[in-house]
Parts: sequence; C-alpha cells; structure tokens
Amino acid sequence: MSFLPGLTDATVIPEVYIDENEIHKQVIPMGSIWKIRVAQESKMTIKIITGIAEIFGTELANNIEYNFQNWNFTIFAVEEVQLEWKGTDVHPIVEGEDIIPNETAQYIYNLHFALEKLRSQSFYGPKIMVIGNKNVGKTALCRTLCSYTIKFKTSQPMLINLNPQESIFSPPGCVSATPISDILDVQLPIWGQSMTSGATALHTKQPLLKLFGLEMISENKDLYLYSIDSLAKDVDERLQKDALIQRSGCIINAPPLSQLDDRFDSLLHIIKQFDINLVVMISDEANEDEKLQYEKISQLITPEVGNNFIRFPKLSGIIESDETYDRSLQRSATREYFYGNSNTALSPFSVTVDYEDLMIWEPVNLINVGEPASIDSTNLLQLKPVTITPGSIQHALIGITYADKHAKSEDVRNAPLLGFALITEVNEKRRKIRILVPVPGNFPNNATILTSYRYLE
Amino acid sequence: MDPETERVVKDFASVLDELTFNSKPIITTLTKTAEENISCAQYFVDSLETRINKCVPTQKLYAFYALDSICKNAGSPYTIYFSKNLFALYKKTYLLVDNTTRSKLISLFKTWMAPNESTGSPLFESTSLGKIESFLIKASALHQKNYQSMLPKPTIPLLLSDIDKLTILTKKRLSKTPDDPKLSMKLQVLAQLKQELQKGKLSSAALKQVQLQLKEVFSQDQQLIQQQNEYEQRMEFQRQQQMQMQQQQQQQRLDVPGTNINNDNMKSNSSTPIPLFDNMTSLGPNVSSLFGTTIGPIFSQSTTTSDKSERESKIQKLYESLDNVDLLYKPKNESIVTLYDKIKPKDADKLNKESNIRLPSIDMLQNIILDCKAYFANININSLNVDSLTFTQQNITSPNSMVENNLIHLLYRAKSNKCNACGKRFGNSNDEKRLLSEHLDWHFRINKRIKGSSQLITTGNSQGTTATQKNIQSRNWFLQDSEWINFKDDDIISTKNIIGDDDNRNRDKRWRKNGDNTDRYNKALSGSTPEGGDDYSNVLTDEMLRNTKLPVPETNVDMTFKCPICKDTVNAVYDEDTGEWVWGNTVNINGKYFHALCYYESIKNSNDPEQSSALENLRKLVQKM
Repeated sequence: MSFLPGLTDATVIPEVYIDENEIHKQVIPMGSIWKIRVAQESKMTIKIITGIAEIFGTELANNIEYNFQNWNFTIFAVEEVQLEWKGTDVHPIVEGEDIIPNETAQYIYNLHFALEKLRSQSFYGPKIMVIGNKNVGKTALCRTLCSYTIKFKTSQPMLINLNPQESIFSPPGCVSATPISDILDVQLPIWGQSMTSGATALHTKQPLLKLFGLEMISENKDLYLYSIDSLAKDVDERLQKDALIQRSGCIINAPPLSQLDDRFDSLLHIIKQFDINLVVMISDEANEDEKLQYEKISQLITPEVGNNFIRFPKLSGIIESDETYDRSLQRSATREYFYGNSNTALSPFSVTVDYEDLMIWEPVNLINVGEPASIDSTNLLQLKPVTITPGSIQHALIGITYADKHAKSEDVRNAPLLGFALITEVNEKRRKIRILVPVPGNFPNNATILTSYRYLE
Repeated sequence: MDPETERVVKDFASVLDELTFNSKPIITTLTKTAEENISCAQYFVDSLETRINKCVPTQKLYAFYALDSICKNAGSPYTIYFSKNLFALYKKTYLLVDNTTRSKLISLFKTWMAPNESTGSPLFESTSLGKIESFLIKASALHQKNYQSMLPKPTIPLLLSDIDKLTILTKKRLSKTPDDPKLSMKLQVLAQLKQELQKGKLSSAALKQVQLQLKEVFSQDQQLIQQQNEYEQRMEFQRQQQMQMQQQQQQQRLDVPGTNINNDNMKSNSSTPIPLFDNMTSLGPNVSSLFGTTIGPIFSQSTTTSDKSERESKIQKLYESLDNVDLLYKPKNESIVTLYDKIKPKDADKLNKESNIRLPSIDMLQNIILDCKAYFANININSLNVDSLTFTQQNITSPNSMVENNLIHLLYRAKSNKCNACGKRFGNSNDEKRLLSEHLDWHFRINKRIKGSSQLITTGNSQGTTATQKNIQSRNWFLQDSEWINFKDDDIISTKNIIGDDDNRNRDKRWRKNGDNTDRYNKALSGSTPEGGDDYSNVLTDEMLRNTKLPVPETNVDMTFKCPICKDTVNAVYDEDTGEWVWGNTVNINGKYFHALCYYESIKNSNDPEQSSALENLRKLVQKM
C-alpha cells in the first residue's frame, strides 16, 4: 500500500515513550469489527462512549471501563461505536486491517433466530453442535449464540464444552457443562467466573466438570469418550429436572477436527450420547481440502441428523493463534481459578502434606507408553498410581476427586471432581509437598488425579 | 426545640408566608430547607399544614405544590407525616377552590398515584390516597349528574348524526390497523344501531341511554387516539401535528368530552349494544374518564397551535392592510447586514430566549428515535413461525431481510433499558422495570460488598478471621454430580439474595465444607451400590481405627474415661502433631466415649438394620480424623 501517501506513515510510530494512561479514541463503523490483540504481559482498558458494542454476543455497558489482559478478541459495532482505550501497548490492535466489516454477523443472527424458532415450538430445545477445524471461530460462535439466547426471552441454554484444551469456566483438561443463566463476563477468555465464596461483580456460573486430564484426545481416546459418556448422563438428568434448560436446549462446542482421528467416529459417538439434533460445520467452501473434509463428514453425519447438518462460513475477524497463545490462555485460566482476576481477587491457601498423605492417580497416556499394542482396551480406562518424585508432579495441576484417599482406582475414576490443586513444591529430603488449594482449610483427605498441565508461578 | 431548630423552623414558616403566588424559587427554597433539615421534618409538616388550612383559597394550591415538591424530592419521612392528614387537607381545599384549581389539584393527585420509579409504590400511603380517590370519584359523579341534565334532549336525527361521526372515526382507525377484529365488529354494531333508530320505535328513556353510551364511546375513542398520539409524538413531529389537528376537530365536534356511565345503567339497557363496551368496562379507562374533564396535555398544546395559526393569519391580514395603505417599509437593495441590524433588536430577545432552552443531547434524541424504530419494527411480527427461519442451509447462509430489519432489534433496542453497570437489557413493561430496579439494587449491594464495607465479615475459615477492609474470598469447591443435577441456577442469579450474605451464610458454608460434601458423596455411593458399600466398609482397617484420636474435652477433669464395652480405663496422651491432650483409639458416639475398635467390633457383627447406620456414622467419624 506504499503507493498511497499517508497510509504507511501511520504504522511507523516512533517508539519513544509509552504512556499507559494516554487515552486513544477509536470509531468502529456500524456492522464492523475491531480486531484486538492484547499480549500476555500487557493490559488494555476500553470504554464505550456511544453506540452498541458487543464482544462475542455480550453487549458492553457504556461509560464503564473494561480491562483486558492476554486475549485476542473482537469488538462488534452493532451500531456505530465511539470508544476510548488505553493500554501498555501502543498497538494492541492487529496491524493493518484491524477494522473490517463483519460479514458473518447476519448468518449468526439467522442461526440464532432459527434456534429461537425451534425453542418456541417445543419443550425440548435444540441441541446444536458446532464443529470445524482450529481457528475458524467455533468457540466464538458458541459464545455468541449463548449470549443471544439469554438476551430476549428467559432462557438458560446449557453450554457443553468438549474441547479439553479449551478453558471455559474452569482450568484446562476437562469436558464440562454449564447452564448459562446470566450475562457472560466480556473481559474474560474463560467466559466468566465459577462459584466463589464471596461477592462477584456478575453472577457466577455453576459448571459440571469431568476431568480428562490429558491434553490431546488421541493420548487416550477411550478415556475421553468415557468422560463424555459420564458428562452426557449427568446432563441428561439435569435436563429432565430443569424445564427451563430443557426448553432452551444445549450448545455444544466440539474439539477441533484435527484432534479427532480421520474416521471421525467420535463425532458420531458425541451425537448419540447427547442426542444432538443440529450440527453446524464451520468450513471454507473455497478451500479444496476443507471441501473434501466437509463431504466426508457430511456423509457420516447426515444419516444421524438428516438435513439438520449445515455448513457455516469461517467467522469474520478470526485472529490466528499459535500454540504459545493457547498455552498462555490455559495458564491464565489456571491462575484465574486460584487467584481470580483484577476485578475479583481470590485467596488460595497453601498447605504442606507428607508424601503419604497424598494419593495421586494418573490416566493412561498412549503416547508415553510407547507400545500401544501391549495395552489391551480394558486397561485404557484404568488409572495408575503415581510414584511421587519432584520430576513427576512438580508444578502439576491435579484434580481432587470426591473419592476417598483409599478408594479403588475405578471409584476414583468415577468420582465427581471436587476441585483443583497445584503442586507448588516437592521436598524429597523431608518428604513433604506444598500444595496450593483454592479453598482454605486442610488438604482434603481425597484421592487426586494428575493432569498433563503444569503451572509455574 | 433547641434554638437552632427553632430558627430553622421560623425561617421556613416565614418563607412559606411569602408563597402567595406560584413561585418556583420559593418552592425550591422550601424544598431545599426540608431536605437539609430532616430532623425538623415534623415541624415543617405542621407549619405547611397550618398554612394550607389558614391561607386564602386562591393560595392553597401553591402550598400544595410546595408539599408535593418536598415529598417528591425529600421523600420519607415527609411522605409519611403528610399521609396522616392528607385526605382531610385535600378534601377541605378541594371544596373551597374554584373549578380550574380543582382540575389542577386533580392532576397533582394523579402524579401522586403514579408509582415511584425507585420504590415502585405511590408517593403517599395507599390508604389516604385511596380515600382521596373515592372522594374525587364521588365529587365528579355529582358533577356528572349535573352535566347529564345539561345534555340536549335526545332526538333521533341528533343520535343518527352522532353515530355517523363515530362510524367515520372508527373507519379511520380501522384503516390504520386493518386486522383488529374489534373495530370491524364495532362498525357492524353501529350500523345495526342506526337501523334500529331509523325504525323509530325506541322510547325517550332508551334514547337517553343511547345518547350517553355514544358519548362514552366517543370519550373512549378519544383516549385511544390520545395514547396513540403520545407514541407517535415521540416519532415524528410532523405527523404529531396533523394528529393534533384531527384530535382537535374531534374535540370541537364533541361539545363536552368525557362522560361516565355507571355499570348499572349499562346492564339495565338490554336493547343497546352491550358487547360494544365489553372491552371497556375495565376499571382503568373508567377511572380516567372520570377525570376526562381535564383534557390531557395534547389538547392544551393543540389549543396553542390553533391560537398560533390564528394569530399568524391575523398578522398576515394586518400586513396586507398596512401594505395597501403604503405604511410598510420594504428594504430594497440593502445589504443583509443592514437588514439584520434593523430587525435585530426584536429578535435578539427571542434568540436569547432560544439559547436558554436546553435541548437534550443529539445522542439522546437519536437513541429515542432508534428505540421507537426498534419498537415499531417488531410490532407486526407476532411470532417466529416464519418459514425463512427454519433451520436449513439456504436460510442460514443467505441474507434474510426480516432478521436484518426486524428481528435483530429484539436483541437490542426492543429492550430499551440497558443496565449502566453490566449492559444487560430490560424491557419497558412494569415487570421488566421492576426486574431492572431489583437488578440495579443488586449491583449496588454487590459493589458495596466488593469494596468492603465497614461491617465485619467472617470468612468461612474455622479460625474466624475477620476482615474489615476487604472481604477475603476464594473459589468454592465444585458440586458433586448429584447436587449439580438438582441444582437450580435461580439460586445464583437471584437478585434478592446474595450468596455469602448474612442470611445465606449457612448455605454458603455448606458449599465450602468439602468434608461434609465428600462424606455425603461417599455415603451416597455406599448406600446406593451395595458392592461399593462393601468396599468402603473395608476401608475401615484396624490400623485406621487404632489411629483415631479424640481431643480430651475441657469438661473432663481426670483426663480418663472407661470404655463401656471392654471396661478398660483410657488415659490421655499428649499428641505432638496437634499440640493437644488426646485419647487414642477413641470415638465419641452420641456423647459417650468408646474404644473405636470395641465399638466397631460390636456393631460390625450385628445384622440389625439400625446398626448399619451406626456403622456409617462411625466411618464418617473415622474418616474425618
């Protein structure tokens, strides 16, 4: 674009002195989105002056300062928005085309009102699953749909997250179900807070988590599907007891297709387990590979849901993310769980226990085992006890189960999740372990499960 | 009364005495004084009541205005104090003043009935307001009677012309909302009525009834149109004016608007079209038609509009006549500047005046217009039963004008009240307004709690730490599956109760205590699945039982007890881990101390169902240690 005078000049801003408190103004034209990237170590504050702005479907209040940290997101101007922002980065925005028209907004509205129509027709609301590759906007679509659903009528959709790498209302490593009973927190990549002991600026949500513990689904697909079955069973029971959620339906965020094996039989399994009746696949029509992939999945899924399988274009304003960013989101989610955020500070509790006081199990990880052939399928679901060494559990995120410390392996696997704890220090000499627990008090006398996630403070 | 109070009250009374005309500054001063000296409230109320009672009738209204202003601005306790004598005061005044003042008093009273925005209840106590209301109803019924006798003697041609007028009006409304079944029904009934009248078989009493009914319908129609006007007034000023003209014409056609008919009259009159009024017998319109003599703001406005046009035409005539006799100075080739100078002195005042009028900001006006647009965009879309909203590939991924132009507003401006704190939207119905005010209250309380109020907050920690400045909070444990299944999110989204508030502290504690939770989980597990139960009972090994320890209660003097089963005496030992004197291998069952092993043996071998619960209990105790 250098042939246009003035266009290139703006991007070359001399890096002299960054005034964090300098207020910048920004106008987003109606129907456009502003792509924003707030890096890990920086902060950004946004205040909407006029207009209607929303972040993934949740409307922002005007003249209120919103704080953002370590997050890539977009602000959509439903009506022309004038805003003020300040932050540590001169350019938190994505260079170049940071304000673009939101071309997919209308399709999201169409989809939303189609779902509303279904909700108004039956006591059994639609159960819609969003599938697609990485970085196409699956979570953004689910989040927007959830937000819209609670906006006009009294609805409580159930958000079901089946991507264990994604942290929604929880640290990573879980599949979860959360009734969306009130407005989401626009400032948080994890959508909002789960329950705390005190007051939070917005209503908290009450998620149900099933700990998978591993990172990649391929590391133990059987266990992954087992967690899903268990989640589906509880969700079904909740739906039967809760007419409002039943009527509002479920919005299901599937893991990226790359996480599943080529046969995609897990998708079928999920559809059956949750009794899903609508599937939306985000897929680029122009891309040859994706076209083939779409046809393959279409053949697989159409027998299950019939015509209720549709293709959706890639969402406008996708900000490509890499693994570093994904990790940083997982880290923030973990920090968030123990320490809260700048608006809601939480106080975790540090306890010291003996080696003997801690019973840790871990799921079978096929990648680490080496010879998958030597493992027969019955063992895949079996948890193995972990020998405590600094190397094995230092800085690990562990899930505390409701099962007793002395419970058998399968009871631990079937037990509900009480919460998470963080191994902060392992002292081999004194055989003591320092653990960070979210709730004050002694370390629960319960069995724990090791996750693949590490968090170093 | 201390000297300071005395001075303030005296000042108040002297200012009050000056209220001999409708003076805003004086009323403002009085209100301010009242607001700032709540402690003297009773004295102010006394002097104001005295003033209303003693002053000449023409000035009573101004004192009422002062009362009104104080109550609306300062609120309680003035509202409470005034409520006591309000009825007597109002009635007395009403009976003494002339008709114009009466109607002003009535409009004042109407503002009292409107529910307060923040509290949702009327300004004064409902009992005194109720008394005033019934008094006013009686008073205007009396007025009505006089008025009925004043009506022209009903003749058939007169009634026929009335019916024609009404038919025209109804047709007009029907053309606007063509799918209203009531309107077309009404037209039919009117036609029938006309036929009946033309037959000429009705007695004069029946004619009278018909006349009254028609008047009633006229006034109802008028109200409907007024309401409609109020809406559209906000939309377009142009259209509003037209409507006003129309309205005015109706007013003129109708010599005296606003009549009331007792329900009894209606029932007794079987030949007249009763179904016509079915939808109108509800209390609302009847009550307001009682006050129909006071025509709404629209009418007075339209009067001024007509006055204005009249004046304009007069000026035009004057101009023409002056021009005819060459008395007018017409500037010819002069510059605009000189022209401006010539007319400046006149217009300067006007300009000053105009600049003094503060218009709302453009944003606000725009918001109002957009809100109205959003409202009208969805008014004719009844349901979502539209084919283009069916879940198909074609419908979802192609532009849908109905979603774009109409339905989208449902997500935004159709609920025009946006919470200032979180952006959540609320609608305009009374229910939604109540929800909004509860929601705002909730924000307020939550923010107060987050900021850390002066109240002592005990954290859930058993050590009972207190925080005065900042509340210490932490994450809760997750619910176990069965609890989550039975959980209702209403518990957390309630704006009435705040989790962690004093009244909720107990429930909150339940969530925090993982010990209880875990126990309940394990208990449920062993209860529901027998195999699981066996597993868990095996968990109670001898070693575990031997390791149980119980701190020696403070009431125990000699630090010993005798196990009731083995009759052995147990001595206390010092436990270094906890720093307490304890009894080893001991459990406390209902206040009695046993050797844990002895107790376990004795209940384990019994098959008595009661004992199994005892076993459960023991397991719980042991696991706690």
